[in-house]
Parts: sequence; structure tokens; C-alpha cells
Amino acid sequence: MLNFIFDAASVAPGDFTGFTFFIGSVSMLAATVWFLMQHGQVDKKFKDSMLVAALITGIAAVHYFYMREQWVLTGESPTELRYIDWILTVPLMVVEFALLTGVGMRKLFWASVIMLVTGYFGESGVMGGTATMWGTASALAYFYMAYEVGCLTIFGGPTGAVGTALNSASGKIPSAGRMLQWFVLVGWAIYPLGYLMGTDAGQWYEGMSNIALDMNVVYNVGDAINKIGFGMAVWSAARS
Amino acid sequence: MDIIVRSKLIGLILALSIIFFGLESSYSILLFLIIMLSIGIPHGSVDHIIAFINPEARRFNSKLIFYIVYLSLILINIILWIISPFLGLLIFLLISCYHFGETQVLGYNSTDNKLLNFVIGANILLSLFLNNIIELQEILYILPEFSNLDLSNFESVFFLLISVAVLMLSVTNFNIKRKVPLYAEITIIYMVFYHTDLLTSFALYFGFCHSLPMLMLEFKEFKSDNFIKFYFKTLPFTILSLVFGFLLYHFNNDLLTSDNLILFVFIIISSLTLPHVFIMKDFVKDK
Repeated sequence: MLNFIFDAASVAPGDFTGFTFFIGSVSMLAATVWFLMQHGQVDKKFKDSMLVAALITGIAAVHYFYMREQWVLTGESPTELRYIDWILTVPLMVVEFALLTGVGMRKLFWASVIMLVTGYFGESGVMGGTATMWGTASALAYFYMAYEVGCLTIFGGPTGAVGTALNSASGKIPSAGRMLQWFVLVGWAIYPLGYLMGTDAGQWYEGMSNIALDMNVVYNVGDAINKIGFGMAVWSAARS
Repeated sequence: MDIIVRSKLIGLILALSIIFFGLESSYSILLFLIIMLSIGIPHGSVDHIIAFINPEARRFNSKLIFYIVYLSLILINIILWIISPFLGLLIFLLISCYHFGETQVLGYNSTDNKLLNFVIGANILLSLFLNNIIELQEILYILPEFSNLDLSNFESVFFLLISVAVLMLSVTNFNIKRKVPLYAEITIIYMVFYHTDLLTSFALYFGFCHSLPMLMLEFKEFKSDNFIKFYFKTLPFTILSLVFGFLLYHFNNDLLTSDNLILFVFIIISSLTLPHVFIMKDFVKDK
């Protein structure tokens, strides 16, 4: 186990990727403290939402401390730690939709299970099959979730029950819901991009990994925006 | 916020701080002993009083009958382990699933749904074992059913993923009053399981997420104004449990455990757990 507080290694000068790990960890920690402070201020019906928002960033903060340590000490991408973080936090993020609307938890949970499990099978190769096959299954689950929470309504398209409930809710929930829909549609799109870059060998999308893009930086910035942004969107609905 | 949820929250913070401040795994046995002696065993050491607190659930006509039944269950459990360690472990796991689940559900739902209690407890134990499966395999080498499994192809993330997926599907398929806080709390527990070794995982969960909330609930039900006074009431049977453990180890080491200390600890815990589960089942009614 690592000791983040007393033995933590320092990010070397010029290590921009290491710096984004550092920023990721402290911003997640700060967001956790903020959401916990706000937990006592919001209406009773939003308390669970604020607690979940704090948990999402809290879990991410712990893993970002781990990831920064691994990066600084070994220079290797902390893929395993990222997956642990996502496995624990993605279901909590979809729960926010169910908490705001009171519907759709079962459907969103199922979709997120399929998205995560198939995505992991494709990247790890433990179950055989091709990365394209597992990636397609994972993407379908993601698109279903995007449809269900109403991402397509941004462009006037159809929506599932969660999106309908979100858009027709009272108070600031519809505007917060719109922010959440944008996060799912745009913010979450970085994860399939990482999948394509990590599994391109021998696939129809071979060559993706040659793109001059440091995925650690993309993931770190994306994670911070998605997770903290998700909580902020919920808070904006709750503070009314 | 009621006392159970509050103590669960404190328990989670304590468990998380162990991860955050980074405890070397060489200290896990010491941590295990401290937690078991200070919280784990004491939470079951007032069973003889608890059994008579709730008049609706009382099943014993006298203290004598209570002690006879209680000690007989312990004896039956030990004999079972001697005859068949596999059966002993199986029964311990089944009973623990129910008992852990019942405590976990407290504060989030009524404990009336027995299947829910069992499924939630099974989820927690499944995750504890899956996230430490290689270590568990080394401990339980005496069980041929388990030692022949080849798990070398699987990464630890796979087991975390499976346990979270099973939890999500379990939670969505039951009617639970406060579904999300229950799910969120168990998510944190899973994170603790993943990042700590088996003994530390079990100690943190058993101590801070199971025993501490129950100890606080017992304190509340005792209507005692002083926690120290209440805690002193747990000491006689905590000491007796230790004496029982030392005697069992001294006289039956070869027969029971083939020098496997951790497995021996499992036997002691299961022996203490078996009668305790029945007492707690009555105690938490309507809580």
C-alpha cells in the first residue's frame, strides 16, 4: 500500500502528465469537501444526490492519489487503477439521473454494467473474441444510456423515460439535466476514444495509437471535468 | 440521521483512513487483533442481555436455557468443523451472509425481507473473497474443491468488476426504501476490499461496518447514559471468548487446523457467530 501523505513522491519538473495527475487528485479532493459541505445546505430530497456527488469525487481522489504515485515512481500508465475508479464511479454517476428523476435506475444500471463489463473484456482479452466485437457491445450500451437520459433531445431527437422525466421536472432540474446530458454526450466520449487507441492492434481502426495524443492527460482532464461537473450540475439543481 | 447510519459513516471514514494513510500489510494481523478485541468480539458479548431485551422476540424461559442453547450451538459448530471443514465453512458462510446483510440493510430498509438480507450479505462476502481470491486460495488449501482452481488468467480488476456488477443487479431487483445510500456505502466497502489484503479487509469491514454500528445500537437499546459503563458490560464475555479460543487452539490445533492460524481464526469466529446470529435476528426486529 502507498502512503499518500508522508511518503508521496514529488512530480518532477517538466512532467506535465504528472502535473495533471496532481491537479486531478487535489481538485477531486476539494470537490469532495465542497459537496459534503453543501450536503447540509440543500433540501432533504437532494441530500442523497449531494452525498453521491461527494462519493464520486472522493473515490476518484483516492485513485488519483494512487495514480499519481504510480506515474511518478514508474512512469507507467495506471490503466488498472483507472478501471477501478471507473468501475466504482460510473454506476454512481448514472444513479444521479435516477435520483433527480425517480425513474430509470434499473435500466441505467443494466446498461452501465453491460458497458463496463464488455469494455473490460475487450481491453483485457480475458474472454476471447475481438476488441471490435466487445467495443461494439460496450458502445451500444453507452448509446442506449445516452438515449435513455435524453442526450438526443439536445438536437430535438427522441428520448427514454429518464430524459422525459428530466426535461419535464420542476425547478432547476431541467437545466441541470441538460448539463448532465451534455456531460454524457461529450464528456463521456473520451472513454471510447481511449478504448480505440488502446486496442487498435489488428483491428479495422489500426493506427489509432499513432495519434500524437497523451491519453493520460486527456483522461485526467476529462475525468476532472466529468466528475466534478456532474456534481456541480446536481448542486445547481439542489441549491434552488 | 439515526445512530446506525451515523456509526456506519464513522466506520467508513475509519476504514478509508486506513487506506489513505497507507498501512503496511505486515501490520494486518495486529490491526485484525486490535479491531476484533476492541469492537468485533465485544459487540457479541452482551448477547446474554440482548436476548431478553425485546419481549416480543424472547424465546428463552430462563437464563439457564439460554446458556445451554447458546453453548450447544458453539459445540455443534466445532464438531462440524472437525468432521467436515468444507461443511463447516459452508454453513458459516450461509449464516454470515444473512447476518452481515441484515446489519447492512439496517438504516436503509426494514429487515423483514429475509432474502434481501441474505443477498446483500452474500454480495459483501462475495466481494471480500473475490477481491482477495488468490490470498484466500492459499489459506484454504485444505479444501481440494478450492485449491485446484486456476485463477492465474484473471486480473484483480476483473473480480472487482464482477462484484460491482452483481451488486448493481441485486440492488435494482429488490424493493429497498433507501436504495442509493445502501449501494453507495457498499461501493466504498468494495473499494476497501480491493485495496487491502484479506485480513485487513475483513477486519475493517467486520469491525467498522458491522460491529461498530451494532455496538452503538446495543448501547442505545441499553438506555445507558454512559458508554464506558456499557462497554464494561461487554468485557466478561469478551475475556471468556478469548480463553475459549486459547483453549481450543492449545488442545485441538492439529485436529482442527493443520497449523493454519488464519483458518483457525475463521473457526473461532464462526463458533462465536453461529449463536450470535439468532440473538441478533430477534434484536433488530422493527429497527
